[in-house]
Amino acid sequence: MHFKRKLLAKACILLTLTLMLALPATAAEKVLMMATTTSTDNTGLLDYLKPHFEKATGIELKWTAVGTGKALALGKNCDVDVLLVHAPAAEKKYVEEGFGVDRREIMYNDFVIIGPESDPAGIKGKNVVDALDAIRAKGAVFASRGDNSGTHKKELALWKSAGGVVPEKESWYVQTGQGMLATINIAAERNGYTMTDRGTYIKYADTLKGNPPLKVLVEGDAILLNQYSVIAVNPKRCPEAKYDLATTFSNWMAGAEGQKLIADFKLLGKPLFTANAK
Amino acid sequence: MRSPIYQIDHLVHRYHGQPVLDIDQLLIQPATIMGLAGPNGSGKSTLLKLMAFIMRPDEGQIYFDGVPALPFGSVVRFQVTLLTQEPYLMKRSVFNNIAYGLRVRGQGEDTAGRIHEALEMVGLDPERFSGRQWSELSGGEAQRVALAARLVLKPRVLLLDEPTASVDAVSSELIRTASLRARQEWGTTLVIASHDREWLYDVCDEVIQLFKGRMTGTGRTNMIFGPWQEGGDGGFHKRLGDGRRLIVPAPPHAEAIAFIDPAAFRILDSPADPVAEHEACIDGTITRLSLERHSGRLYADVRAGSMTLVVCVEAAHVAAMTLHRGWPVRLAYRPERVQWH
Amino acid sequence: MDFILAGFFEAIRLLLGGDAQTWSAVAATLKASTGSMAVSLVLGIPLGFVLGYVDFPGRRQTRLLVDTALALPTVFIGLVVYAFISNRGPLGGLGLLFTLRGIVVGQTILALPVVIALSAAAVENMDRHLRTLLITLGASRRQLLFSSLWEVRFGLLAAGLAAYGRVMTEVGISMMVGGNIKWHTRTITTAIALETGKGMFATGIALGLVLIAIAFMVNVSLSFLRKR
Repeated sequence: MHFKRKLLAKACILLTLTLMLALPATAAEKVLMMATTTSTDNTGLLDYLKPHFEKATGIELKWTAVGTGKALALGKNCDVDVLLVHAPAAEKKYVEEGFGVDRREIMYNDFVIIGPESDPAGIKGKNVVDALDAIRAKGAVFASRGDNSGTHKKELALWKSAGGVVPEKESWYVQTGQGMLATINIAAERNGYTMTDRGTYIKYADTLKGNPPLKVLVEGDAILLNQYSVIAVNPKRCPEAKYDLATTFSNWMAGAEGQKLIADFKLLGKPLFTANAK
Repeated sequence: MRSPIYQIDHLVHRYHGQPVLDIDQLLIQPATIMGLAGPNGSGKSTLLKLMAFIMRPDEGQIYFDGVPALPFGSVVRFQVTLLTQEPYLMKRSVFNNIAYGLRVRGQGEDTAGRIHEALEMVGLDPERFSGRQWSELSGGEAQRVALAARLVLKPRVLLLDEPTASVDAVSSELIRTASLRARQEWGTTLVIASHDREWLYDVCDEVIQLFKGRMTGTGRTNMIFGPWQEGGDGGFHKRLGDGRRLIVPAPPHAEAIAFIDPAAFRILDSPADPVAEHEACIDGTITRLSLERHSGRLYADVRAGSMTLVVCVEAAHVAAMTLHRGWPVRLAYRPERVQWH
Repeated sequence: MDFILAGFFEAIRLLLGGDAQTWSAVAATLKASTGSMAVSLVLGIPLGFVLGYVDFPGRRQTRLLVDTALALPTVFIGLVVYAFISNRGPLGGLGLLFTLRGIVVGQTILALPVVIALSAAAVENMDRHLRTLLITLGASRRQLLFSSLWEVRFGLLAAGLAAYGRVMTEVGISMMVGGNIKWHTRTITTAIALETGKGMFATGIALGLVLIAIAFMVNVSLSFLRKR
């Protein structure tokens, strides 16, 4: 028994040592930590850009995909170096408060309102305000992200422009508290409507072999524009943040190579984003 | 005279505030066999645990080889070992159970040979048993393995707490024989607690009576529990069945326990003989005659109704009386020789 | 329903086809859970022994505290650990955020109460004769501790398995502290959450089956230990 126990102890020590070796020390030198929204990650855009960026700059890009609210909080706590988000009003406030610097518009996609082909509320082809009024009047199921994300904030703004009140307590208004694709799936299950960014919708349609149960019913309204920006974490507040790497990333994204790659990123033959850096 | 291996001074131990053991002084000589007799709860197990240095006494001191000793002390750790009543083994094979004590002593050489020898001492075939798991043994076998685990250590002191109380007759006999061999072969000091008085008086150099945590004597005695009944004439007695009565003086309280010295009884030459004045008598049957080894005294067990009394027979009377088992006898005694506790 | 069957075939394809992302998540899961289990066993078993064996003042209250900690929600642990290891937090300088080591810290907090409570229970149920037996055979205090633990090894094994189950399957800590970073801190469970969020239900099911397969392997190897 004693020798068995010794063996066990040795095995434990060995295991711990292996583990320490296996877990790399803090990081290699040039690593850029980014907080971004689920939409950029879910569409596969970042997976597509990452190798190009690393090849061009030698910087390893790491990201955590969370809601816009959490992404901004991570920046406030100096836990990331750079943000890629899409909630212009919140972003501007964020920069004004001194949490971020060098906000730079990179690209946009647009939001669309999708719903079942049968279109119970009859919103097809209407503008956003009329469409939402029709949904409210009909009491048709509408799935909302309900997670304080950029998309959610956009949706709330739309409701306010259509009648001024967010139908939060209505039984047909479903707050999922989940990501965009999960919310689309819930809307599909309930035979209801939802608002989504076009990129996520194309990705969704692609996974369903181009024949999804929910179709684009409202699009093209100017109010539906979805602007993405890069913001560096303020180096004065966060001395440990890698401001130089963040600047390199921002320049690359807004530069010729980044902009061309974004414009070329297609799914089902359709571009997901429109590059619009100035 | 050699110096005692145990010297116990003013020992007091309590459970939940209640004193369970209170021994003023006790000496035990090396290589002797000492018996502890007494009813359940009299403090035998507590005394043995203290003597085994498993726990620390609340008051008092135990000297081992003249040195004050405590649990885990280097003086006693490898010298004293205790065998408890319930057969209990570690969840390991028989071999590893016996080897444990050798391993903690760092005695690695010839482990197999010594375990073989120890198993043979307790009458277990080493080939068949050493590979078995703890769960594959009967109660008696487990207790014998437990004894082997002590014997393999060749201890200076072996404490036995009712070692045969929960085992079958064959195991019981083997355990007794093996324990005695320890003294013969290595001069081990034995302290045995047992309900089996005959065994104790047969093998022990000295037997101590324990009652309610105190030593009440060092020889044989009759301990008689109530209930005590008041007779019509103001006297007291205990009903023994078959219409027999044991006459006693007035007890100090209802739960008092009577102690009667075996020498207080006199066996009448013939049941028809008259008894003397102030003497009470009781009729019974001799069930056993035994010789106490160290004193040379002869004792007779006399069954009277539901209880058995121990009676001392003077050597000179033995031949004249021609006592035999199964013979009816009449015992005479003076009730004032009853002592109350 | 059809995505469950699809998930089953997908699981086989991911494992046998050597899908790099899947294996990266498997490795991250194994590294993090092995690390947190090693720490919580080394700390938890002695603490559990003390809690189950030694009658110290405040023992009942400590027991209550540990039992309550069994119900700690993983997201809550994740949030608290994040608060400490965030760069603005008191332990920000250690660089634990978005690393497997950070996940190990959180999972250790998750597993430790399980190990302590269950090993204390195992030690409490230990036969009272064992102590007498070990001392009388000459065990020192240290040998008493180790031999007692060896006697309750099956109870400790159960404690370890229960803790391992919690650690392997938690999402909240890995997501909050690890950040679900691809190739780095994406574990199987955060990958499942991601795939589900993307609507890739079959891939989610497949990854779940991969997790179950790992748990099965761990249990099989431990059951061999148990037989001896």
